[in-house]
Amino acid sequence: MTDAEIIDRLKADLGGKIVELTHPAPRRLFLKAAPGDLLAVTGTLRDKYGVVFLSTITGVDKGETFEIIYHFSTPEQDFNLRTELPRARPHVESISSLIPGAVLYERELQDMFGIVVDHIPDARRLVLSDDWPEGQYPLRKDWKHERPVEVIPGGES
Amino acid sequence: MAVLRTLLYLFVYPGLLFLFAYSTFCEWFDRKVFARLQNRMGPTHTGSFGLLQPIADFIKLLAKEDVVPAAADKGLFRVLPAFGLAVVSAAGLLLPVWNFDLAVPSFTSFQGDLIVLLYLLSLPTLIIFLAAWSSTNYFSSIGGARVLTMLFGYEVPLFLAVLSPAILAGSWRLAEIAAFYQAKPLLILPNLLAFAIAVVAVQAKLERCPFDIPHAETEIVGGTFTEFSGKKLALFRLMFDIEMVVSSGLLAAVFLGGFPGGALVGFAHLVVKTLFVIFLLSLIRALTSRIRIDQVVTLAWKYLAPLAVLQLLIIILLKGLLS
Amino acid sequence: MKFQIPIGPQHPALKEPISLRMTVEGEVIVDADIRLGYNHRGVEKVAEEKNWTQNLYLSERICGICSHSHSTCYVQGVEKLMDIAPPPRGMYIRYLVSELERVHSHLLWLGVAGHEAGFDSFFMYTWRDREVVMDLLEMITGNRVHYAINAVGGVRRDLDDLQKAKVLEGVKILRERSVYYFRIGASEPSFVARIAGVGVLPLEKAVALCAVGPTARASGWARDVRKEDPYAVYGELEFDVPTADTCDVLGRVVVRVKELLESYKLIEQMIHKLPEGPIAAKVPRKAKPGEVVSRYEAPRGENLHYIKSNGTDKPERLKVRAPTLANYPATVEMLRSGFIADIPLIFAAIDPCICCAERAVVLTSARSGEESIVRLGDLRRQALERHQKAPLKRNAVWPF
Repeated sequence: MTDAEIIDRLKADLGGKIVELTHPAPRRLFLKAAPGDLLAVTGTLRDKYGVVFLSTITGVDKGETFEIIYHFSTPEQDFNLRTELPRARPHVESISSLIPGAVLYERELQDMFGIVVDHIPDARRLVLSDDWPEGQYPLRKDWKHERPVEVIPGGES
Repeated sequence: MAVLRTLLYLFVYPGLLFLFAYSTFCEWFDRKVFARLQNRMGPTHTGSFGLLQPIADFIKLLAKEDVVPAAADKGLFRVLPAFGLAVVSAAGLLLPVWNFDLAVPSFTSFQGDLIVLLYLLSLPTLIIFLAAWSSTNYFSSIGGARVLTMLFGYEVPLFLAVLSPAILAGSWRLAEIAAFYQAKPLLILPNLLAFAIAVVAVQAKLERCPFDIPHAETEIVGGTFTEFSGKKLALFRLMFDIEMVVSSGLLAAVFLGGFPGGALVGFAHLVVKTLFVIFLLSLIRALTSRIRIDQVVTLAWKYLAPLAVLQLLIIILLKGLLS
Repeated sequence: MKFQIPIGPQHPALKEPISLRMTVEGEVIVDADIRLGYNHRGVEKVAEEKNWTQNLYLSERICGICSHSHSTCYVQGVEKLMDIAPPPRGMYIRYLVSELERVHSHLLWLGVAGHEAGFDSFFMYTWRDREVVMDLLEMITGNRVHYAINAVGGVRRDLDDLQKAKVLEGVKILRERSVYYFRIGASEPSFVARIAGVGVLPLEKAVALCAVGPTARASGWARDVRKEDPYAVYGELEFDVPTADTCDVLGRVVVRVKELLESYKLIEQMIHKLPEGPIAAKVPRKAKPGEVVSRYEAPRGENLHYIKSNGTDKPERLKVRAPTLANYPATVEMLRSGFIADIPLIFAAIDPCICCAERAVVLTSARSGEESIVRLGDLRRQALERHQKAPLKRNAVWPF
């Protein structure tokens, strides 16, 4: 199936749910959906297009909103599904019921951007340490690193 | 004179001093063979050809900080390494390396010393188990459990294998068994199967690859010796070295015709025959990968033990034929 | 009696820090959990403050073993963003290095697998032969670990005829040795007893948990980015994607050794087809605004970089997904209901590269807590001084 055919099929299947569909390079499709439609779109992709593999989930801080991109791929095509969440209330539904392997990336998203993933089966921290202060999300643009004063036992300072 | 002779026997040859020197040499030999089989150099730096490396390692360990864990059973934890060393050194005395007068049994050669030797060689396993258990570390506990599981695997095949040459010789005394095979060297051949089984069992007893399961570092860190450091670890390592010498000496005495011909020639026999056995052990160590604990038990009870029984059967039939 | 044993963050089986928490009952594992973060360096954050060229070197330092993978994956994306096409000769050299890296990584893994199983002889032999490919890499790139051959728009170094001949010669030796290791790895009884039927990952689980690379291929899922999304030169070359259907550690050994043989084929084709011409193109300092998803088949599986540009000389966002991270859920699945003795093997079987999965270095003096930055020249001088002061090593002689 060529890229153009897939685009036509996607438009027919998901017409209303896709806000935007771009095709910047061969084999790369970027879809945009509202946060509420995420689960439905993923479900359709999985059932009708054989999308079972999630490479990762990227978060991007765009100031007023957070953009998150799910990078799916099949042997023929890459689907990048994006959605935008308001910064004030960053909630998104977990897709781990459809793709169990997504949990790891959703945990990473929670750690790094403070996006709350609803109904995630395992909400513990993944990459940040246990004593990391609450409310600090390193990959947000307004977060700046301040090196804490290091206390070395037996050291001079 | 007799007192001097006894003291010499206890402390010099084949007592503590000799055992220390010879076991470190054997460790060097084992390490060198193992390294060459792996395309490495092995110890090269300390002494000529790295001969003094095991001693250097021993001294270095003695100088290291000695930590006793707070939760450990301190008394047991402290005393076990020395106890283990004493047990294997005592076992070393029973080897018939001095030219024994068969007619006049001395205090280290008596009817049944084979059994005592085997018993003394089983003790280190129990000591290691106790040491592991008393250090109360999770890794040690798992290691300790593995030590005991393995003991139930290899001990029976070893005993059965050593039994068969003794039955053929009709004696429980090491010196007499050795003398029997010196007189009839051809009778060594029917015991070859038992010798092979005994070599594998001794490998397991010494916890060397493929049986280094109790202290497999990639699985359970140091296993039984996780909490041991400094002097205690040095003593345990020496214990293993001496145990290697004594058990290969036992195999040499029982299967390879002992050490005949007085102090000097006997000594040459001892060196050649133990090094041969140690060479076999190193070969097994280089050519195999570590197996799992359940596979050890399967190996021992499915293959080694039945083969040992078969060997016993052959020997009993042979003895009937000969008499 | 159930209790929890900590494998890591510091453990002899792990070369890098990670915490595997195993709940065991006797010798049997009943539950497993993975905790990351011991090696988190904030590379993605740092990348936002560095320009396109600096990030090339940063991405190379994400990992020590697959350093070329990350930098190639990054540079592929940046070239697409800048809309430039590197000259074919440059491309061939770049992907020649990436195949050589795959060879070195797989040989390294074979050795590690041997070591984790207590088979040290296998480890010593594979690592000895790995030196052949390390020497080739050093000859081509000038470095053994961080090759630094990539430049935005091509590569930094050219290949001459003598070097080409040497690569072919090295590949010949390596192929012979690999066939031999294949025989040992798949037939030495005590080794096979340890790896056959261990760490089973059925195909449906591999798919559900999004496993990648040799782990997925050993479960019969033939996914290879080089084949399904043929980037750069891979469309012009012939190779197969080896798979195994045993779904266990043995399958992963088989898949990796077969991949070695495929890589030798690829290297030979690349050397023979190496076109003439320049090795690098001139590149602009800034990239156009846009975004790109760059995928690359690293030795451990699919590597994905998402790069977003805002029109300046720095990226707006660089997201790195290393293959090891994708394999963690599958590892937890594999570890369940194994034996304690299988932990190092199963974990090593995904070829974990922990620093990849968690992505600047300031030296902190342990005594005073002062931070210092050591210049490369200083390091070099110190190394030379130390070398000159070091006592002469006696010549090592083997007596027999």
